[in-house]
Amino acid sequence: MKNYSVVGKRLPRYDGTQKAVGAPCFTSDVSLPGMLYAKVLRSPYPHARIVNIDTTKAEQLPGVAAVICHKNTTSKLFNTSATIVFTLPPLVPVKDQRIFDDVVRYVGDEVAAVAAETEEIAQEALKLIEVEYEQLPSVFDPKEANKEEAPDLQGPREHGKNLPGEKIHLELGDIQKGFEDADYIFEHEFKLPVQKQCQMETMAAVATIDADGKITVYSSTQTVHPSRAILADLFDVPYSKVRVLSPPFIGGGFGVRIGLSAKAEPIAIALAQKAKRPVKVVYDREEDFTSSDTRHSGYVYLKTGVKKDGTFTARMMKAVLNAGAYCSFSTETHGVLGCMGLSLYSCPNQYYDGIAVYTNTTPSGAMRGFGSPQASTAIEAQLDIIAEELGIDRREISKKNMMKVGGEWVLPYQCQSIALEECIDQGAAAIGWDKKGTFDNSGSVKRGIGMACGTHVSNAWPFCGDYSNAYVNIQQDGSVQIAVGSPEMGTGVQTTLSQMVSETLGVTMDKIEVTIADTESSPFEIGAHASRTCYVVGMAVTQAAAQVKKEALEFAAKLLAERESCIYCAQDVQDLDIVDNMIVSKSNPNKKISLREVTIQAQFKGEQFIGVAKVVPQNAPPWLAHFADVSVDTETGKVTVNKLVAAHDVGRAINPTIVEGQIEGGLAQGYGYALTEEILYDENGRQLNTGFHKYMLPTAVDLPELQAIIVESDEPTHPFNVKGVGETGLIATAAAIMNAVYDAIGVRFFEIPMTEEKIYMALQESLKSCE
Amino acid sequence: MNKKTLTMVVNGKTVEKMVEPGDTLLDVLREELGLKGVKKGCGKGECGACTIIMNGKAVNSCIVPAMQAVGAEIQTIEGLSNGNGLHPLQQTFIDCGAIQCGFCTPGMIMSSKALLDKNLKPTKEEIKQALAGNVCRCTGFVKIEEAVEKAAEILKNGK
Repeated sequence: MKNYSVVGKRLPRYDGTQKAVGAPCFTSDVSLPGMLYAKVLRSPYPHARIVNIDTTKAEQLPGVAAVICHKNTTSKLFNTSATIVFTLPPLVPVKDQRIFDDVVRYVGDEVAAVAAETEEIAQEALKLIEVEYEQLPSVFDPKEANKEEAPDLQGPREHGKNLPGEKIHLELGDIQKGFEDADYIFEHEFKLPVQKQCQMETMAAVATIDADGKITVYSSTQTVHPSRAILADLFDVPYSKVRVLSPPFIGGGFGVRIGLSAKAEPIAIALAQKAKRPVKVVYDREEDFTSSDTRHSGYVYLKTGVKKDGTFTARMMKAVLNAGAYCSFSTETHGVLGCMGLSLYSCPNQYYDGIAVYTNTTPSGAMRGFGSPQASTAIEAQLDIIAEELGIDRREISKKNMMKVGGEWVLPYQCQSIALEECIDQGAAAIGWDKKGTFDNSGSVKRGIGMACGTHVSNAWPFCGDYSNAYVNIQQDGSVQIAVGSPEMGTGVQTTLSQMVSETLGVTMDKIEVTIADTESSPFEIGAHASRTCYVVGMAVTQAAAQVKKEALEFAAKLLAERESCIYCAQDVQDLDIVDNMIVSKSNPNKKISLREVTIQAQFKGEQFIGVAKVVPQNAPPWLAHFADVSVDTETGKVTVNKLVAAHDVGRAINPTIVEGQIEGGLAQGYGYALTEEILYDENGRQLNTGFHKYMLPTAVDLPELQAIIVESDEPTHPFNVKGVGETGLIATAAAIMNAVYDAIGVRFFEIPMTEEKIYMALQESLKSCE
Repeated sequence: MNKKTLTMVVNGKTVEKMVEPGDTLLDVLREELGLKGVKKGCGKGECGACTIIMNGKAVNSCIVPAMQAVGAEIQTIEGLSNGNGLHPLQQTFIDCGAIQCGFCTPGMIMSSKALLDKNLKPTKEEIKQALAGNVCRCTGFVKIEEAVEKAAEILKNGK
């Protein structure tokens, strides 16, 4: 692979200082003159009809400026998720939400909202709203909700009982023949929990409307342009009359705000329209838990046919996911689960059926990994069983079956690079795989090692439409401005994109400024999701920078030809390059002129160097192998993870420190997914885990040593060989820990999280069966 | 409501504010004094985003009643780089890649400072304990712990 001078370097974060000094850079920090504070009344019932709602007393409370509910807001249907904007025909986006409806479908669903002079007054006013509910039958499990006798939660559906969208069916080869060819068949079902993003900044929006009706919204969205489209359509305003922007940062995302920040934006706008003053909506943490999207819980069934030597002959997978009360991303997640789950390994005969089913729980939407953690957890836990039964080394069975460049799979593009074997080897060395099976486990604390593999995506295509535009220009003093619609939610986009532009253009990092996440300063951009920014937006800024460079060099060649007519001519543009802000002749390094001088001269001729790029990407899956070393206390069921290792084929790391940070953060979330994190509901549909403590969010004290290993491969679809890395860190973590726990105590788990209680009970059970 | 006078020293300056009995120290710092670096992540003392140093101890300002701060000496993230360039912790957080979304960063740095103010040779375990009340959902804590170790090193050598 080629060496670069800026790309690949551990440069400090562009946004580091602002964040280190605590600058007011988040939506929750925004304060506008005359701003009101909003609070939302939420349903206490999982499914009910609002028979009557009376807001008179709330409206009369001093300090209250506006009260809204289903009676005085638009009844237009929408979907808070960005999928509404980039669903590709012939699929039709599912619109099943209203700002307020006369039916509530989960505990926490929106009933009314108040804007007042202070948050306290708004909170007080909520208590004065009188609501009469008629309770309706409810259902909480997706398998139950899919049965004919279940209540219809969103009316009769075209594709099946309580299905928001289409079933996803995939087939390759002949699945029946594949099972006939098998020496052994393995069949298991895994149960996956509700995980919560737990981004540090809760859902937030501040809306202000000017005298002409133009709407401006400061928002914690990950996708300003799609969010603008959703809001403009909902409020019947031309797109050009709505501005959505970050101020300029987001306090974490992990998928929860791909699209709107739950309903923070539409509620803020509706209240601002009514009160004719700016309105701020900031969810409290409990609301963020109950009323913003979660990861999809559900069931993954696997039936796998193998030869004696471990070669796959047939892979059948079925997924039933819990969509929750509204569709959100429940037309796509089971697609990614099926496609990427099947595509980790080669197998001539494959079959997948996937559905997501409405229930009366908090809507499920996007969360880091988007289907792939569910797939990988099941597939890699089952593969551990298969390897053991066949007596094959766990690493070898993955290597034997792993996808190959150009291999046949269900995806509509080609695999062009894969360094999974290197990931497995390097990860195994780092965890000390050779120690597996050698631990002294005669005491009550038993130690084990496990591994798991995975893959994911570098953008959203083919699951949704995917494209990026970017704008790069050289300012009149030779400095550079990049403008993209991508947000900064922690992933370091400004740093990474600047490194690619700096490398391409030859302008040093200190001269580059990146404008982000403002619909008024950037061309349309799908936004930050699907691990796509470095891949797709990276392509776009690189392309735009190359265009700018070409323009600048052509002008410089003419300028030099004019100045030094005897020794230089304009055709010599090929001989010029830009290095550290200087335009230099490759053949004669003494001949140079500063970019600053060239741009000043260009200004006199009425010229600015501007690049606009439009990119429609294909895709390039990243590959990963995770390893866990655990100790299990068999007297209490407590798992102590001693070390987690993740070796990732990321293509190329533009900034290795940032890439490691992404992987380490993903590992921490995967640790929680495996062992502690879960939202449970009581029999009345109420969440039992509505805060960080009750939810058992891992902290510094819980987390083990984490080691991220970057493996590079020559991915040809990206100018700097990039593949997505934003989500990969947690995809195979849970399965690696499950397999390590089995190695330690000899008990298999078919559901996560493996809490102390579950492990203790399982150990008691296995003791009983031994007696 | 019966407003009462709260006098305290914030980042070296004496301030006086009229506060309501229900106000938290976070409300006063963030909304009355405009110190937006003090973040609100949960309002229940569970995430540490609002961590400040009060009389030498790291506390969650969201669960401290404002009137408990009468006469207290308060340090917030805004007081760390007051005209003197970045504090070593701020610099090492940047250098080590310990900052991602940045929402936990002010609280994380204040908890770290409270530790280093008393102990310039913290063990890994002591660092983890000092940060036990600070949630970070982005980093996995590896680079944060490294940043605290490096800052301790710098402060130790500087003394």
